Amino acid sequence: MLLHDLLFRLRTLMRHAATENELDDELRFHLERQTDKYVRSGMKEAEAVRRARLEFGGLDQVKDECREVRGVSFVETLVQDLHYTARTLLHSPAFTACAVLTLALGIGANTAIFSVVDQVLLNPLPYPNPQELLAARGNDSLPNLEDIQRQTNSFVSSGGINIEPMDFTGTGEPVRVHGAYVDAGLFATLGVQPMLGRWISADEDVKGGPRNVVLTYPFWRDFLGHDPSVLGKAIRLSDNSYTVIGVMPKDFTLPRELADVFVSLWVAYPDAAAERDVHFMHTYWRLKPGVPLAQAQAEIAQVDHRLAEAFPDSERERGTVLIPLHEWLVGDVRPALLILFGAVALVLLIACANFAMLLMARAVARQRELVIRASLGARNGRLIRQRLTESTLLALVGGAAGLMAAKAGTTLLLALKPAELRHLNAIPMDARVFMFVFAISLLTGLLFGLLPAWSASRGDIAEALRENARTTATGVSRRPLRSFLVTAELALALILLAGAGLLIKGFLRLRSVNPGFNPANVITMYLQLPGTRYPQIPMQTNFRRELLARINSFPGVEAAMITDLPLAGNYVGHRVVVDGQATRAVGTEPVVQTLSVMGDYYGIMQIPLRSGRDFSAMDRERQPRVAIVNEAFVRQLLPGQNPIGTRIDWTRSSEPHVWMTIIGVAGDVKHSGLNQPVDPAVYAPFSQNDEAWRKFMTLVIRSRVPVASLVEDVKKQVWSMDSQIPVSGIQSMDDLVAMSVAQERFNMLLLVSFAALAVALAGVGIYGMVAYRVNQRTHEIGVYMALGAQHRDVLRLAMKDGVKLGLLGIGLGLTGAIAITRVMVSVLFEVKPTDPAILIGVALLLAAVTMLACYIPARRALSIDPMTALRSE
Amino acid sequence: MPSQSIDLPQGTLDLLILRTLSLEPLHGWAVSERIQQISSDVLRVQQGSLYPALHRLERRGWIKARWGTSQNNRRAKFYEITKAGRRELEIEQHAWQKLTAAVSQILETA
Repeated sequence: MLLHDLLFRLRTLMRHAATENELDDELRFHLERQTDKYVRSGMKEAEAVRRARLEFGGLDQVKDECREVRGVSFVETLVQDLHYTARTLLHSPAFTACAVLTLALGIGANTAIFSVVDQVLLNPLPYPNPQELLAARGNDSLPNLEDIQRQTNSFVSSGGINIEPMDFTGTGEPVRVHGAYVDAGLFATLGVQPMLGRWISADEDVKGGPRNVVLTYPFWRDFLGHDPSVLGKAIRLSDNSYTVIGVMPKDFTLPRELADVFVSLWVAYPDAAAERDVHFMHTYWRLKPGVPLAQAQAEIAQVDHRLAEAFPDSERERGTVLIPLHEWLVGDVRPALLILFGAVALVLLIACANFAMLLMARAVARQRELVIRASLGARNGRLIRQRLTESTLLALVGGAAGLMAAKAGTTLLLALKPAELRHLNAIPMDARVFMFVFAISLLTGLLFGLLPAWSASRGDIAEALRENARTTATGVSRRPLRSFLVTAELALALILLAGAGLLIKGFLRLRSVNPGFNPANVITMYLQLPGTRYPQIPMQTNFRRELLARINSFPGVEAAMITDLPLAGNYVGHRVVVDGQATRAVGTEPVVQTLSVMGDYYGIMQIPLRSGRDFSAMDRERQPRVAIVNEAFVRQLLPGQNPIGTRIDWTRSSEPHVWMTIIGVAGDVKHSGLNQPVDPAVYAPFSQNDEAWRKFMTLVIRSRVPVASLVEDVKKQVWSMDSQIPVSGIQSMDDLVAMSVAQERFNMLLLVSFAALAVALAGVGIYGMVAYRVNQRTHEIGVYMALGAQHRDVLRLAMKDGVKLGLLGIGLGLTGAIAITRVMVSVLFEVKPTDPAILIGVALLLAAVTMLACYIPARRALSIDPMTALRSE
Repeated sequence: MPSQSIDLPQGTLDLLILRTLSLEPLHGWAVSERIQQISSDVLRVQQGSLYPALHRLERRGWIKARWGTSQNNRRAKFYEITKAGRRELEIEQHAWQKLTAAVSQILETA
């Protein structure tokens, strides 16, 4: 039975043309016999033909039913419909182009954002069993990490990493590279094997162990020219010779850090490795399979407790909070990405509404054709299917075009990406993105094709014919849908516009925050003195002093240096003690930023001194120690006191205090970000530095000459003093400020472009509706004018509906915006999501766009010639 | 044609076609004529629904079609009942008789 059915279907499908002919022959034969019969019974030939036809019913309909019961009709009609659709679409290129372009914009924008969401939020981390990986919030020291690993059972392994600059020398110019100081457990934890050679083993990861290095692929490629026999060779890093034992695979990346080479912390920096109370390592953990996070967290809390008891001075306030690695990586960008994804979905809805209206307008234009086909026996279902074929075909073509638009869009996104997305080097169009485009196109085509098709098929033929007879009444049955679409479009556009407006306002607020310094015309460069050649502070101080003197001798150039620049993301924090204040419990003293400076730092950065004096050449070695604090320091630690003359020092466990005297108060500087509060800071002269590890410094140079030439001159001066010191991090202070708000700018630019797209689409939508109405009411307007209506009256008549719907949409949009913009709180800076000025502003803007979109087509009504309009009836 | 003719109840067309074809192979037009004749013009086949029914029966394998020559020497598509068709006819006929008997019993007694 089943086999018979299948063979039957197959045969019919194979013999498609023959089957069709046979069906024709069979039915024709029937009609002829019936006609014969009537003729023989005495009927006239013509009457007999008519009678036979009438009795038989719709020939097309019967054929359709026959095809259907033969079971091949679906494929067959699809092919037929596609053929028919392609032909009709090619006949109306303007319509086709409009529809495809509209959808390409909507789908393209969605696809671009989806591919970022896909890559950032949905893609699994590039490590085996990534669901087992955890990260700790906050940093820790290697001894603590080792203790926890020893005393817990929940973890397969754990590892720590800290990135410090290293100097790679020996091939051309010295280069500053990112050195990853790690322990042996890190790679067992991440679970990635080197492509060549091996990882640092546990027995090598000890104080005095062999100086081995594992390279990343880019380092191996760029500096060692893909040398396949690199294993066992020696390279020079920060004045030490390291043996290459491994090269990581090409696609390997660390979870969050950027690194070029990996060395053992115990081998490369044993002092730091042994330091329990300096928490500078990112730590990663791999859970044993099946162990729940809560259990691991509970276990680790017990160890934390034991550590706090054993080392109350330093470990009392620390605690390990574990979070799934994926969460830790994308938690910050998720809200912004989801908001953008939501926004771009609204854009697609608007594009779809326009698409539906285009289809409706086209259906009306083709009404006569449809009526004729319906009266020839084509069933409603068949007509709907044909129109769905058309809308789906258009949507798929639109989707394909959208894919191309998305490709261009992602290139743009990559150029704009903020630091939080810095791992996003490429946005590949993977299978998921293709599925997304396909699904979204198909859905768009079916859903938004069905709307107008359904609304058009409801009316029976007689009604359609009647409507066709009097053009003034045409489309009455479709008005509610069209009005709904226009209203919805404007409401959605308003919501997007409100979101964009809020982000713009927040961004302008952020940019108008005074950073506390003047970034204009300041260029910065980072240097680090190699510890091997500059182990003692006096050598470091001499180098700094000499370099500054040389640069300051350039005409029109002023230079100074500081340990860490504002907005660059770093500072060294110390606990501080204020002389004369009640002694606080060890480990609870306030933490302040500590910054070392040399030269006229405040003058070059134009940071105002609020009171006291600046450092002078006299504040140098073997002189009384001095410090300048910021206003936040005074506010928080010396409220209501005159800070000048107050003595402070870092907390020291052993040595007696060597007090620094506060000689001045500098204006607050936004060190951690324009949207971050200012923390207390202490500036001290480099020349009185007593920490030999402060080997790094950033030059700040204000110049009246073009910066580009200056950079080379400064490099030459550095290398004339020491040819092995890399000069890196060359950027202007302006760029640094811009980079610090890159995430905010990224959000704002994207939402603004989506809003602009939405407004343009909505404008086109309402324009189309008004133009269509004017077209349909030519006769009515002609009569109106013939009766003596003024231009103003005609304009009002033509614009009335559009403006009314527009205002309704704007009103609904305002309500929607107030409800929806709440989700944006996390990405807004000092702006309430219901900021009235913004809401009113965007409503007015959209109202203006609406008026314009109504006015342009309405003006066409004025050119209607009453006589022509009346005659055309 | 008498004005008293009635349209076929749903589902009975297949049964009548099978019955008609169980006597001899016929083409479509002849099937409709035969049903009308035998029922003394009481039953009228909607000609539009005859052909989809024939094609459906053919797909189910109860009848098969071949092209032949009609009485007036024209090429026509003849339908012929198959073995499976005869079995089906018997089942359907039996079911029909049971149904009509039950219905008339209710009509007479109730």
